[in-house]
Amino acid sequence: MDLLQQLQQANYSGTALTGSEQVGYQQLIAGAIAIRLQYPQLQKQAIALHYTTLPSFLIALLAFDGWSSALYLLPETALDIPELVQQWPSETSVKQHSAMHSTIGSQETRWYLATSGTTGTPKWIAHTFASLSRAVKISVDQSTLHWGLCYQPTRFAGLQVLLQSMMSGACISDCSSGDAEQRIEMMLSSDVTALSATPSLWRQLLMTGRLHQLPLVQLTLGGEIADQGLLNKLSTLFPSARILHIYASTEVGVGFAVSDQKTGFPLSWLGTNHSGLAFKIDGQQHLWLKLPHTPDSNLAKRLDSEGYLDTGDLVHIQNDRVQFLGRDSGVINVGGNKVHPEQVEQVLLQIADVLQAKVYAKASSVLGQLVVADIVVVANADHSKLQPLLVEHCQQQLARYQIPTRFNFVDSLSTNATGKLSRKEPHG
Amino acid sequence: MKLEQTIRNTLAQVAIIANCKLIADITDDTVLLQSGLDSLGFAMLVAQLEEDLGIDPFSQMQIAVYPRTFAEFVTIYRQAQQGGNE
Repeated sequence: MDLLQQLQQANYSGTALTGSEQVGYQQLIAGAIAIRLQYPQLQKQAIALHYTTLPSFLIALLAFDGWSSALYLLPETALDIPELVQQWPSETSVKQHSAMHSTIGSQETRWYLATSGTTGTPKWIAHTFASLSRAVKISVDQSTLHWGLCYQPTRFAGLQVLLQSMMSGACISDCSSGDAEQRIEMMLSSDVTALSATPSLWRQLLMTGRLHQLPLVQLTLGGEIADQGLLNKLSTLFPSARILHIYASTEVGVGFAVSDQKTGFPLSWLGTNHSGLAFKIDGQQHLWLKLPHTPDSNLAKRLDSEGYLDTGDLVHIQNDRVQFLGRDSGVINVGGNKVHPEQVEQVLLQIADVLQAKVYAKASSVLGQLVVADIVVVANADHSKLQPLLVEHCQQQLARYQIPTRFNFVDSLSTNATGKLSRKEPHG
Repeated sequence: MKLEQTIRNTLAQVAIIANCKLIADITDDTVLLQSGLDSLGFAMLVAQLEEDLGIDPFSQMQIAVYPRTFAEFVTIYRQAQQGGNE
């Protein structure tokens, strides 16, 4: 059953979203049916969906799931699409394709979401609707929630919130843009009761001094490792709320939630099934997961003989908990934004005076991690003059969160046996 | 007063590196996230103060505290310093 059919069957009568306009579930359904009727030539085509407004985005998701052959959710950064697609919303008249079709009925749509990939180059990952909506909970309690959307809706985390809200019959408001003050303002004006955000955004919302005014009953932390101080603070402010921190991987297309308000997850989950997943830890301290569904073909070849997949996340066991340490690849997570150290190192090495560069994470109590660079420069370089040059060069080449927040001028960088920079033991 | 001046100096330095334009007059009542410093700049400020003062009060709290204004921010550091000296 596609998304539209599921909503038709659920027959929710309430408001689906509020914001600049208020839109009901029946309006969303009518809008989606209208698109299908008006653009029959889009059936079985691949669609690239741009985000414009929340109502039109939701209507498009409803119209195209089970109708188009593929649905690409375009991220804010440009990314090539590997097949011929129709852009939506379409600025010109939609092309008539020769293969006209009259078959009625739904087909399975392949959903594509952009991920930062393992090398820093964004890539498309295919999902089925079933896998994307696997974590959705439908209940009377869920239907009464009013979600504030804090993530970009075209990304995995944002889509999870959208699907949770829509499929459970809840209401949602777009709070995904602006600074913390503007966002809390939007949340207060729409009486948001449920929020899913990164620990870094939760900290910023707390800094507004107004978070406690929201009547929150469900709080979700994701996209970064949650710390105990933050979990404790939220549980003090919202003692009767449900507080979850979630682990999710766009690449693997799975997630699980921890609800006991402690960091990491219970050691007892190893060796048993939880949230439909099986867990294990290998000798390199990597967390492996066994999925309930067959993963994307790119991932299938990475399964071990038991069907487990390496998440690339480092964990360690501390008393009765499995705690997350970060990515084994050295990928830095700055407030939910992934930074690939190699990419930053390449930019630094473009400067003639820089001989070697090593980029790594420094723990931050505000944004989880910050980017730091150790650099070896030519002997006669004037460090005080070089520093502003480095910053300026990085500003031209990198996004703000990728720029090293600190440059350490060092005499040499340690290399491992194969001559590569050793990444795991940062200087200092 | 010395602590507040250290924080102000560090704030000015960090704003340059973070490419943030601070508002002209930062007073006790200035809301931190409206001082011109964004979340990245604020994270850099806390990291640099850890280097300068040897403390990060935000990393050690059982129940974290989140300052809204400049005065609240300075107070958290003052309390952390006193706590450390006891």
